[in-house]
Amino acid sequence: MSDQEDLVVKKEYKSIENIDENDEDPDDVDLKDGGKIDSLKALGPFIASKENSRNTVYLSDVPDICKDKPCMLGVDEAGRGPVLGPMVYGISYCPLESNKALEDLGCADSKQLTEGKRDIIFNDINTKEYATSCVGWAVEIISPNTISTSMYRRSKCSLNEVSMDSAMGLIQQAIDAGVNIAEVYVDTVGPPEKYQEKLLKRFPNFKITVAKKADSTYPIVSAASICAKVTRDHALKVWSFPEGLVIKDNEFGSGYPGDPVTRRFLTEYIDLVFGFPRLVRFSWSTAENALADKAYDMEFDEPDSEKPKYAGTKLTKFFKGTTKSGEEIREECRFFKQRHLENVMEF
Amino acid sequence: MSITLDFNGKNFAKGKNLDVHYLPAKIDGDGEANVENCFNNYTREATEFGPGILTNALRGYPLMGEKLKVPEGYRGLVLQETEKPISDTSDRKLRLTGVFQDFTYWNYDKVPSNGDPYRQALLLPDVAQALSQPISEEDLEAEIARNKENAKESP
Repeated sequence: MSDQEDLVVKKEYKSIENIDENDEDPDDVDLKDGGKIDSLKALGPFIASKENSRNTVYLSDVPDICKDKPCMLGVDEAGRGPVLGPMVYGISYCPLESNKALEDLGCADSKQLTEGKRDIIFNDINTKEYATSCVGWAVEIISPNTISTSMYRRSKCSLNEVSMDSAMGLIQQAIDAGVNIAEVYVDTVGPPEKYQEKLLKRFPNFKITVAKKADSTYPIVSAASICAKVTRDHALKVWSFPEGLVIKDNEFGSGYPGDPVTRRFLTEYIDLVFGFPRLVRFSWSTAENALADKAYDMEFDEPDSEKPKYAGTKLTKFFKGTTKSGEEIREECRFFKQRHLENVMEF
Repeated sequence: MSITLDFNGKNFAKGKNLDVHYLPAKIDGDGEANVENCFNNYTREATEFGPGILTNALRGYPLMGEKLKVPEGYRGLVLQETEKPISDTSDRKLRLTGVFQDFTYWNYDKVPSNGDPYRQALLLPDVAQALSQPISEEDLEAEIARNKENAKESP
């Protein structure tokens, strides 16, 4: 079943691309106007219609019941470790009393589910009446370009910060959309205490639980996890390279450094100047090492924080005024020095 | 040793207008680069940082830039040396490969400002002009008169 569905997804994706080309509007279209995801089939075309060098947020419609009844909300991520592709944050929510719907959907431990099963559950969440009437969800696709540039900023922003910002941003958007949140459950890989503290500070009115492997403990986190994982898988499937690369069936493997397909991709598609296509997270050490070996060396402006600290006047300073033969060394005129101007003798 | 710049008014006027980028990185390599697909494709306007501010990234490093014009009265030239000189003393010949009137200036994760070395260095054309402009007899006398005037006022 999934094979056929993929074909359909690809065809639709192509037609959307064509529409985009004809309709040359350089300005950003409002994210929410890009279409609605009302089934699994709509997910691929939606992602493909977005710029893959930027982040994309999608919010499902909020079921009316979620605006009245107190809700629980689950948060999970997909694609944190791989060296390529986006990282996706997902949330899902439903009234506290709607646990039955989650059970019927089959939202158990998402890691135990196969890709096909996850696809089916995702489709059910968006099509089955018993689910759409009480379960809502949202995802943020954090582009690999954003991940690299965040981690390579002058004041570095770690992946943890990127993650927390995304999670809190999604919760905030759910609040703004009118979801009556009472309890929040978050899956984490790092130490839960710090994360919990930060979330409580931002959202003091919710009962917040941060736990490892929350996606196997809480069905609502499992639902969020499924939305995130399915979105990441589709984002990779429909990835089109602005660099002009065409890779058959988008075969770049799992993105984990141990995967031979990924390793081959990383060695084959290196541009001497620009490095990898921006599907790759440049800030991963796997990517850094591959570039150090294969591409031109590139040296950036030193980040501000790495400047050597001033440690007082050096003793040798007093011997520097003359050359060995006793000639006076003339310091360059301050006017030119401050303006970074110097004599050029050679071309 | 002499250096010959090999171009005349004709090929100067005909010269290809180049798409030039000023990057905050030293690239240890020489050759063609797929700028259009790998770089220009990703340039975006970021008006939240100011009018005309652009963003992009180079090997994952965030860049912020702007389109700049070559100073008035100047032309940007790209010269290429096809044969490297054998020794320091041999003659050299540089050929014109293209011209540019504007280029994109990029900073590493910093909005372009007057603090940038490039902008500060651009004071040189003004200084050079002041230093090389001929001074007429009248200018000189006017300056002397002004100095006298100032000297009277100050004590």
